[in-house]
Amino acid sequence: MNVMSRTWHRFLPRQKHKPATETLDGRTLTALATVIFLVQFPHVFHLPIWVSLTGATLVALKLWRHNRPDDALLRRLTSPVAATFIAAATAVLIRMDYGYSLGRDPCVAFLFVLIAAKYAELKRANDATALLCLSAFLLLTQYFYAQSILAAVLTLPAVFAFGVALAVLRDADNPATNTDHIKLVGKLLLQGLPLAAILFLGFPRLPGPLWSLPDDAVARTGLSDSMAPGSIGSLSQSNEVAFRVEFDGVPPTPEQLYWRGPVLSQFDGREWTEHDTRVEAHPQAPSDNTRVHDYTVMLQPHRQRWLFALDTAASLPYPDNPDTTAGITPRVLGQLMSDGQMIAERPVTQVLRYRQSSVLSDTLATNVPPAPHTLYLPGKNPRTIAFARSLREKTTGPWDYAQRVLNIFSENEFHYTLQPQLLGDAPVDEFLFQSQAGFCEHYSAAFVVLMRAAGIPARVVTGYLGGEMNGDYMIVRQSHAHAWAEAHIDGAWRRFDPTAHVSPLRVEQGLSAALPDEVTATGLTGTLDANWLREAQLRWDAMNHRWQTLVVNFNDASQEKLWEKLGVGTPSLMQIVVGFIALSAVWCALIIGLPSWQHKHLPPTERHWLQLCRVLARRGITRNTNESMSEFLNRAALAWPNQQARLTQLNTDFSALRFQRQYSAESDERLTRVRRELLQLAARAWPIGRRGPHSTQGLNKAQTAR
Amino acid sequence: MNHRATAAITQLEVVPSTVLLDVIDQLETVLIGKREQLTMALACLLARGHLLIEDVPGVGKTTLAHALSATLGVDWKRVQFTSDLLPADVVGVSILDNHDNRFHFQRGPVFTSILLADEINRAPPRAQSALLEAMEERQVTVDGTTHALDDGFFVIATQNPADQQGAYPLPQSQLDRFLVGIELGYPDAASERALLAQGDQRQHAKTLQPLLNDASLKSLRERCEAVHLSDPVLDYIQALLSATRTDGTGLSPRAGLNLVRLGRACAVIEQRDHVLPDDVRRVFPVLAGHRLTGQVKSGHSAAQAVLAQVAMP
Repeated sequence: MNVMSRTWHRFLPRQKHKPATETLDGRTLTALATVIFLVQFPHVFHLPIWVSLTGATLVALKLWRHNRPDDALLRRLTSPVAATFIAAATAVLIRMDYGYSLGRDPCVAFLFVLIAAKYAELKRANDATALLCLSAFLLLTQYFYAQSILAAVLTLPAVFAFGVALAVLRDADNPATNTDHIKLVGKLLLQGLPLAAILFLGFPRLPGPLWSLPDDAVARTGLSDSMAPGSIGSLSQSNEVAFRVEFDGVPPTPEQLYWRGPVLSQFDGREWTEHDTRVEAHPQAPSDNTRVHDYTVMLQPHRQRWLFALDTAASLPYPDNPDTTAGITPRVLGQLMSDGQMIAERPVTQVLRYRQSSVLSDTLATNVPPAPHTLYLPGKNPRTIAFARSLREKTTGPWDYAQRVLNIFSENEFHYTLQPQLLGDAPVDEFLFQSQAGFCEHYSAAFVVLMRAAGIPARVVTGYLGGEMNGDYMIVRQSHAHAWAEAHIDGAWRRFDPTAHVSPLRVEQGLSAALPDEVTATGLTGTLDANWLREAQLRWDAMNHRWQTLVVNFNDASQEKLWEKLGVGTPSLMQIVVGFIALSAVWCALIIGLPSWQHKHLPPTERHWLQLCRVLARRGITRNTNESMSEFLNRAALAWPNQQARLTQLNTDFSALRFQRQYSAESDERLTRVRRELLQLAARAWPIGRRGPHSTQGLNKAQTAR
Repeated sequence: MNHRATAAITQLEVVPSTVLLDVIDQLETVLIGKREQLTMALACLLARGHLLIEDVPGVGKTTLAHALSATLGVDWKRVQFTSDLLPADVVGVSILDNHDNRFHFQRGPVFTSILLADEINRAPPRAQSALLEAMEERQVTVDGTTHALDDGFFVIATQNPADQQGAYPLPQSQLDRFLVGIELGYPDAASERALLAQGDQRQHAKTLQPLLNDASLKSLRERCEAVHLSDPVLDYIQALLSATRTDGTGLSPRAGLNLVRLGRACAVIEQRDHVLPDDVRRVFPVLAGHRLTGQVKSGHSAAQAVLAQVAMP
């Protein structure tokens, strides 16, 4: 039994050796606090302020407590019981604040507070490691919110702080300064960079996201499935990006860019909504002489299902991997509806990149007869209906009628404005006969009502008009939001844009050209007026676009393209693993091996001398440039008293070996001794963090006793 | 016992190893508190170089020459360099003898063992270069006849700091001829008190016992040549030389050779048969200082800056 326990003793946890009240020193606490601060910081912008304050206060309390260890109140506040209580209370409060508990935001908020609470009651090094793992997870949750360059850059200091904290934790007794730690971590991170790059390029990607986040009820700027007077007007005050487009060829001119969005055909007299009677349609193959535009859309998440395409879609939206489609029918990202609208499989919650082809045409051919609701009018705008009927009688046919209606807008005193007066129960009547001032939704709505009143099926189409070229891609912002009308004449849906007849500038040059005063007054693009600022903003957008295309969207398809370029076919998982291990082995060998390669040509004495310097450096005894060997070793002997005799002997031997004339027998003897002593010394220099000075001394006693 | 030790013992029989320390001790009784400078001067002597002392008057330059000559048991002469000094005043002149109508060469003051060239930068360049040629060649040629100088010819030149008036500063090429440039400087408080208590140092210098003679000096110089110079030390010397050459002009190869010689001499004074990097570091300022900046004082700090940027082996 005794033998057993002695044999297995070293494998058993050494509980009794561990002091009961082991606490972390100030340096470790500061390093951890830095990590927590840097990890929490990016979250502060979207969390409720009280959550941020709670987190920060807990960390501050712990640091304060460390400086005033005798304060009873602080001790109680940072005790495990108090921390648990605070965490539990916060969980309840978060549930109350958000109204739900399973979702991205409340979970992140809870993790945020949990980490701070854990820090507050931190006692042992093991706890600190757990805390670092938690913090790493919190750091990653940042990408749930944004995957932009800024988000990536914001994580870098935190990653660095992680390294420093790990270095401090691992070797708590090491007296190396912060600068040394920072240098070490910087070096390690730089050395790890190629490995990270290889992993980024080579790590097998799953097609599609690994998991999907539960949807939070967050309002997003963007088109909605309904339109009332003023809704698009308020949307166009937002400078946010709706989507970005890369055209394969020369992009069309702005006035041709009608990005088709929700088609609204149901009208209740004030509000336009989608009608659910549409069916799935197939894109029509373009005839030979029509020009087809191919482009790639990067749609910002808008949490709705519709996708945007120019006028008439000639294809379904496909994922952006044109090279690998041969033979296999790729996954379709959405379907085309009979009203010309594109619908995705599920709400767009992350940036969606799809290929699309379109034919630019103001006619949407259809073999489905117009549904009855495209003629329905609730009868809330009697004046308009009466006017339409009288006008219809004067005209020869639908074409003539439509033209006459458009002429009404251009010939009368209609104004195009972002700030129309509020309209009451009969908005179309009020707009047409009283205010005569409105935004695109007023004009398109009035046009559709006039059409329907004359017995011509018509509907409102919302979407975006135009776009802003930035280098080789186009930005479409919310301020490009637009609404126009479609009327069913001669068996096809024809596009009519009454806004163009009121304000041609809007169509040709965009909103800020059409309404320079209002746009500036409302502050919409006010900041963009300064040219350099606008320039900088576009540059930044271009950078983010590249980032999005090259880094964030690097998926299984891009990976396959990469393999193809490298000419290795599609490697199996095993091949990738083996390849990665081989590459990293080569890299590690280069890093670790290079110094010794450099010293290979050195004589053995010089190599041993450098070894000794490294061993001493591990003890924190580094050599000054202008310090001679004997001065250095004398200093080392003073700084490491229990190795004094060994260091003095080494001093003599090295002096003889390096600077004196060599006599083989004697120098061989010295060299052997130097090697032996070096090994002994290195063994004692290594575990500086683990054993600390006391155990080192104990070991030396054992050594001398032997 | 190996043959290295045997070889050392045979040499020790000729000249005891501690004699150089005795020399320094004895010199220090005259120039109190100047041990480092005296060691460098002695190393310069052993390395067959010439010594340049840059200092204000009255700090003991002449006394040093007195003491050295007395300790070495050789004669010494002194030339006070002035602005009207002619080359002939230094090397000598041929004079027509009325008795036999032939020119006879009258030897100038360079024909001695130790020459104190006082305030060398007050003389015009012509007189300066006459001396410097004699220093370099250890012979003078007058009217086509070559006269060899003393084998142990050793020049101690002094120069006023250039900020004093009436100076013809030595060009850098000429400064290269001086192996060692030192400044004596004012004594520290304790040394000065001892100095004041002792009274006239020059009288005292004359009473010094000769500790060396030509033979022992020659033997010591031979021993310098035999001092071992290891690869790490050579690396260090090379690194130092190239560090001086990074911006503009640095030390010449001749200066490099001199550094080696001086380092060896220093090792001999320290009773060693090998040069340590410490020796090189010790002699580097006095060797490189005046060569780098043309002045001893500013040169020393320039040399220290070079030392600070080169890692020792």
